[in-house]
Amino acid sequence: MTVTKPYVAAVGTSAFGRTDLTGRDLFSAAVAEAFEDGPDPADVVDALYVGNQSESYEHQIMHGTLLAEWCGLRHVPAERVEGCAAAGALALRHAVEDVRSGRRDAVLACGVEKMTAGGTAGATNALSAAFDRALEQRSGVTAPSQYALLAQRYLHDTDATERDLARIAVKNHANGAANPRAQFQRETDVETVLDSDYVAPPLKLFDCAPVTDGAAVVLVASEAVARRFGTGDPTVRVGGVGAGANNIGVADRDLTFVEGAHEAATDAYDEAGVAPADIDVAEVHDAFTSCEAMLAEAAGFAPRGRGYESALPPAERSDGWTDTHLSTSGGLKARGHPIGATGIAQAVEVYEQLTGTATPDRQVDGATTGLLINEGGVADAVTVAHVLTT
Amino acid sequence: MTDHTDTPTAPLARDDVTADSPFTLPGFFAALNDGDLLAAVCEDCGNRLVPPRPACYACGGRHLHVEEQPQTGTVVSYTEVRTPPSALAERAPYTVAVVELDSGARLTGRVTVPYAETDIGMPVRLTTRSLAADELELALDHEKEWPIHEFEPA
Repeated sequence: MTVTKPYVAAVGTSAFGRTDLTGRDLFSAAVAEAFEDGPDPADVVDALYVGNQSESYEHQIMHGTLLAEWCGLRHVPAERVEGCAAAGALALRHAVEDVRSGRRDAVLACGVEKMTAGGTAGATNALSAAFDRALEQRSGVTAPSQYALLAQRYLHDTDATERDLARIAVKNHANGAANPRAQFQRETDVETVLDSDYVAPPLKLFDCAPVTDGAAVVLVASEAVARRFGTGDPTVRVGGVGAGANNIGVADRDLTFVEGAHEAATDAYDEAGVAPADIDVAEVHDAFTSCEAMLAEAAGFAPRGRGYESALPPAERSDGWTDTHLSTSGGLKARGHPIGATGIAQAVEVYEQLTGTATPDRQVDGATTGLLINEGGVADAVTVAHVLTT
Repeated sequence: MTDHTDTPTAPLARDDVTADSPFTLPGFFAALNDGDLLAAVCEDCGNRLVPPRPACYACGGRHLHVEEQPQTGTVVSYTEVRTPPSALAERAPYTVAVVELDSGARLTGRVTVPYAETDIGMPVRLTTRSLAADELELALDHEKEWPIHEFEPA
């Protein structure tokens, strides 16, 4: 069987942050960027998948139908994909699989979330739906407290400190300052992070990704369709994908090793024929600073218990670390975390790095291979990894 | 007291899936209301699952039996909820923990003492009670009789 190589033909995002625009409007902005120099969506897009966390923000489901219509499509397969914060990369995975199989020539992977609609309480309540209803939700857990249960044990079992986690926030803010797409295009410092209020100890406000409105799209296409975009010489393709579920309940999982992410990343590496040391840039779903540390270990960039060194320059990390640059976009922390759009936004960053089109202050010279790890439902209730290569 | 462990084992037949079965949430919480915390024990690998479910995630096995759990254990990890779901706003801050029971089974629950008085390794005991007004607001119709479980220092 011939497998079609899935290329990234075009990418686009809305601005990330708080806005009066609705989800569909944010999508319109992302589509406008992605299709600025190419054919119209209706000329090429055969199907559409939309990562979207919750209908509670806008009281709207049917995002497949809605967004297809909003970019000029009708009578195409179009559906919402749900997996909390992993919804975006799950949508991307469907697009990749459709193109690989030869069933579709071009599929639009989308993500959208209008999180600010219900304020902090609305986001807290909506996100809590990702946790097990029987024992976790009824105990009053929240997203920060769920991640804090992992972080507390991680700090207990490793040499990591709250200051180490703060350095990850500082690094990601510095990267965000260099990213025109970022919600927070400003730097911060370790003392500011450490002085911020605890949200769920040991996690503080500045360890947490913000509430974000935003949308992002990636057009996955055969080489023939991809040639109709950009320079006409597509260079970035999706070389490998891995995805998998873990327990829904945090209590049933390994609290300090993100097994699901390890499995997903390993599958993606195997498909792409690469190893962790080959990855030049990685977006690692730092919904909380502690996630970046743990995902760095799960993805094979860091030795067990040393992922918290991700903010250090590669030369200063422990033996066994790869030279991978993490969260060059600013990560979820600074670029923003519009839940269902985050996985797509991660792919946009890796695409820009591999095409050399990231802004100079964050561009990793000569990057040819990148990884994105997108997870949903506390660390790895579901995880999706994509390896992008040139 | 009903012996909740005197029930069919998995694999379940279709007609076994009733609200009386501890392999369902209504059955699990009915037992908890009577003071019994139940787990399913995998007969293939020994894994303990709270609440009971009809298959073992660790090995894929579907042969399980129900076992009453010890109600003492230790804190594996813990934190404090400072920004709670809106229904529980008046209750915050409160402590939540992952607890490993003396049987090895683990579950998440609230802790009855403040965060500063909690620590990893702290011995705790399970308690249950009916829902308070704010918890009733959070509860769906079918959950209103389900007890809240909490851990207190042992």
